[in-house]
Amino acid sequence: MTPEIIIPLLAATIQSGTPILYATLGEIITEKSGVLNLGVEGMMLCGAFGGFLVAMYTGNPLLGFLGGGLFGAMMGAIHGLVCLTFQGNQVVSGLALTILGTGLANYWGTPFVGQTAPGFAPFSFPLLGSLPGIGPIAFKHDALIYISYILPLAVWFVLRHTRFGLALRSVGEYPEAASAAGIHIKRYRWTGILTGGFLIGLGGAYLSLAYTHLWTNGITAGRGWIAVALVIFAFWKPGRAVFGAYLFGGVMAFQFRLQAMGTHIPSSLLMMLPYALTILVLVLSSLRGRHTQAPGALGVNIEPAD
Amino acid sequence: MLDIRVHTRQAPLPWWGSCLILFSAVFFSLAMSAGLLALQGKPPLEGMLLFLQSGFGSSWAIEDCLAKAVPIFLCSLGVAITFRLQIWNIGAEGQYALGAVGATWAALTFPNLPGYLLLPCMLMSATVLGGLWGLIPALLKIKLQVNEIIVTLMLNYIGILVLEYMVYGPWKDPSSFGMPMTPEFSAAGIVGFIGETRLNWGLFLCLGIGILVTIFLKYTRYGFALKACGENPRAARYARLPYNGLVVMVLVFSGALAGWAGFLEASSSLNRLEPSIMAGYGYTAIVVAWLARLNPLAIAIASFLLAGLRVGVEGIQLDLQVPAAFGGVMEGLILLTILAGSFFQHYTLSLKQSHTSEKTNQ
Amino acid sequence: MRKIVLFLLGLALFCAGTNTAVAKDLKVGLVYIGHIGDAGWTYAHEMGRLAIAEMPGVTTSYVEAVAEGADSERVIQNMARKGYGLIFTTSFGYMDPTLKVAKRFPNVIFMHCSGFKTAKNVGNYFGRMYQARYLSGMVAGAMTTSNKIGYVAAFPIPEVIRGINAFTLGALAVNPKAQVNVVWTKTWYDPATEKEGGKSLLETGCDVITQHQDTPGVQEAAEEAGKYSIGYNSDMSRFAPKAHLTAPVWKWGPFYQTIVKAVQNGTWKTGAYWPGLESGIVDLAPFGPMVPKNVQDTVLAKKQEIAQGAFKVFAGPIKDQSGTVKILAGTVASDGELLGMDWFVQGVQGSTK
Repeated sequence: MTPEIIIPLLAATIQSGTPILYATLGEIITEKSGVLNLGVEGMMLCGAFGGFLVAMYTGNPLLGFLGGGLFGAMMGAIHGLVCLTFQGNQVVSGLALTILGTGLANYWGTPFVGQTAPGFAPFSFPLLGSLPGIGPIAFKHDALIYISYILPLAVWFVLRHTRFGLALRSVGEYPEAASAAGIHIKRYRWTGILTGGFLIGLGGAYLSLAYTHLWTNGITAGRGWIAVALVIFAFWKPGRAVFGAYLFGGVMAFQFRLQAMGTHIPSSLLMMLPYALTILVLVLSSLRGRHTQAPGALGVNIEPAD
Repeated sequence: MLDIRVHTRQAPLPWWGSCLILFSAVFFSLAMSAGLLALQGKPPLEGMLLFLQSGFGSSWAIEDCLAKAVPIFLCSLGVAITFRLQIWNIGAEGQYALGAVGATWAALTFPNLPGYLLLPCMLMSATVLGGLWGLIPALLKIKLQVNEIIVTLMLNYIGILVLEYMVYGPWKDPSSFGMPMTPEFSAAGIVGFIGETRLNWGLFLCLGIGILVTIFLKYTRYGFALKACGENPRAARYARLPYNGLVVMVLVFSGALAGWAGFLEASSSLNRLEPSIMAGYGYTAIVVAWLARLNPLAIAIASFLLAGLRVGVEGIQLDLQVPAAFGGVMEGLILLTILAGSFFQHYTLSLKQSHTSEKTNQ
Repeated sequence: MRKIVLFLLGLALFCAGTNTAVAKDLKVGLVYIGHIGDAGWTYAHEMGRLAIAEMPGVTTSYVEAVAEGADSERVIQNMARKGYGLIFTTSFGYMDPTLKVAKRFPNVIFMHCSGFKTAKNVGNYFGRMYQARYLSGMVAGAMTTSNKIGYVAAFPIPEVIRGINAFTLGALAVNPKAQVNVVWTKTWYDPATEKEGGKSLLETGCDVITQHQDTPGVQEAAEEAGKYSIGYNSDMSRFAPKAHLTAPVWKWGPFYQTIVKAVQNGTWKTGAYWPGLESGIVDLAPFGPMVPKNVQDTVLAKKQEIAQGAFKVFAGPIKDQSGTVKILAGTVASDGELLGMDWFVQGVQGSTK
């Protein structure tokens, strides 16, 4: 393995991990507020479509990106309506959201398939981009990747070190206690769902605006499900989410390069790598005595007061 | 100002009340779907009638729905039992794949056995491999406390790739011109159709296992233990209920049932193994299990209705040329409205005119 | 159940009646594996459907995104029940379901795409895409400077392998040092993964990449890296104006029209229809401005030769990756051998699994 191979590999790792990272961070926020959301795949796809649509009509990729987030948040609002207002089961609502979101994006998106929209192009980050090694790996990307470097820090800081974050976590952990302390549970859960949905939508928009610059039906291709799994893998911690997303993206990128270099290992076996490795890492961290800590009230609805 | 208040129902809703809620939810979502059709310039009313007619309106349609409901039912029954124990098994898809692989192994290894030996043999190996795919997350959970959602999800992907590896590699039919499919099973390895219908004998397997599971849940000690552990695992451990044993049991059982579904699809529908066997039944099963509130009889009905939904949408597609994605939209809308509608089973709303005078009175 | 059978029989007779009485009226149904807007395989067939929809007496319909296996059997069966007289099933996995339904509806004519089985009322058809692949391989071989060409491919099935082999032979014909590296994506349809596959090939030294995929992800990868690409399915130059050299493309319309006409006139016969460049069912998209005139001329001359039957792509001696002679000198691979091709020719880097 020479640097000519490794540097592009690591750069590709970051790129293929980024959409999953956005979605994983969004799902962490939602779940921290005590709401389980299995609709990530559908929300991401709607975000990808929304982002593409807005960018195409306004000609402004940044507006498109935000539009993608908005579409994700709108899908989140449906989840909120069903689970928070109507007390519906969170598991079914999430799965139904995946079905609905996939359907809506493909239904409305069909006329736009194969069209292109203005998107984000990579550029060398001032100063940092010219560093040897780290520059070509991490600082020759598009703007959305640079944003994704700050995002986990921001999420971590807000969740850990602000009053808002403390309240949000308490709503997910001990809703009764939070309620007794005068915290408006529903308001925080709505915030968790909507901000989470926004980030998930951004992850989708990354796919149609930066990773590729085109819309095709089903562009997320299962990445939303990976995000759901990575939240658990990350033990609901933004820092570990970065590790998980890059690990997953990295192994995916690596197996392609193994193939490109002319290996004779059957591709079915190579493709198992990212999935098998995810389980393995989870088992290893469990062996080291670190266990998953789901928010205490995850997936539990709060009964409306009489 | 209008003020909506929520009250918990004092008396449980009578059955016709539940039916009314269900029907109005379905009606509401169908009306929304019709609106979407109208937006596209298609006749909305005709579209909905067409949907109902192609899904449920003829003996063929009923037959098609039943045939499609069989694998959904088996997968769903399995995951429902794990959900009762609050084990979030979303791995039916992979367990189904492994079941199909197991059945195929038996069919290809002993092609000359007579049917009365070969079919049980295929069923057994489907049970073993499907069960194994359930055993892995079970062991990882009780020994290492590894979260089962992530393990079952990852095992789905791996299971499908195992299936692909086998049909692209060792089991590829030499006479299939290199296409990824195994040789056709011998006649003894094919589960036949009942009479002149397109329904296979697996329907009776469903009936049998459905009854057995109902009895198990209602009348046995373990059925009770399952419920108790699911409601409160910690208390169950204090009560010396065998929590770990139950985790293994339900996951293996769920894997085995999904494996049976894979066996039936490979043997009866395809007569061989090929990648197209994967049709997402494992994910559908989760929705069905929850809609049916984990009750076996309700799962049977829900599987049938969901199958009808999918069959009916094909009818609208063919006659009205709406995109396939419309089916997803309809399915999502129906599920979400039913879910939101179930709110009214437990609560009522009342509108109150809130006056300033009232506030001073308080 | 007897009632159903009688009803089916009645319906079948009814269909037969309408078919023979008014030969001109024909309902044609198509079953698609993907979405009609996929810009790839299904889109190409949809263009074919639009071409037959204009014909007198013909009404058409389709069902899209039909999963192979049990679902497809039901969809095909429902088409037959609803009085469709000619049904095109356009994915390999529909082969067995098509045959099963055809047995129950002997008076409906079925055409299955990309398979190898026929029956009394089931014909199969495909286009000799490998001929156009060979030509695009010549372009790639002429344009590469690193002598490494990348190929992003979906699934290791004969159709794809045949294309890779023909492409490689074409590249070697103009550039004996050329080497083709293959990456499998295990998806027909995932632009991000396909693009990633393309990028991985570019990073390992390829300077021309092509694809057997249904989205333009690979084209984008080449455009961004400033390298060359060759499309597939339809002209993909608008996705990569600076990179797109050419593309082997499908044109189903004229073929579908001849089949429909034959069915209307009652002259349709079962069999394996496998037309090539001569019929226009496969073709080469216009060359990009970066392809030099002399390369264009050589390729077009070869196209002429293939169309006239003077040149065969798979004429021996052809060796596989290990150097074993697979097609003997002086012989030409039979259609059976082509249909079942599961080995790579010498010059391909990668595994067929």
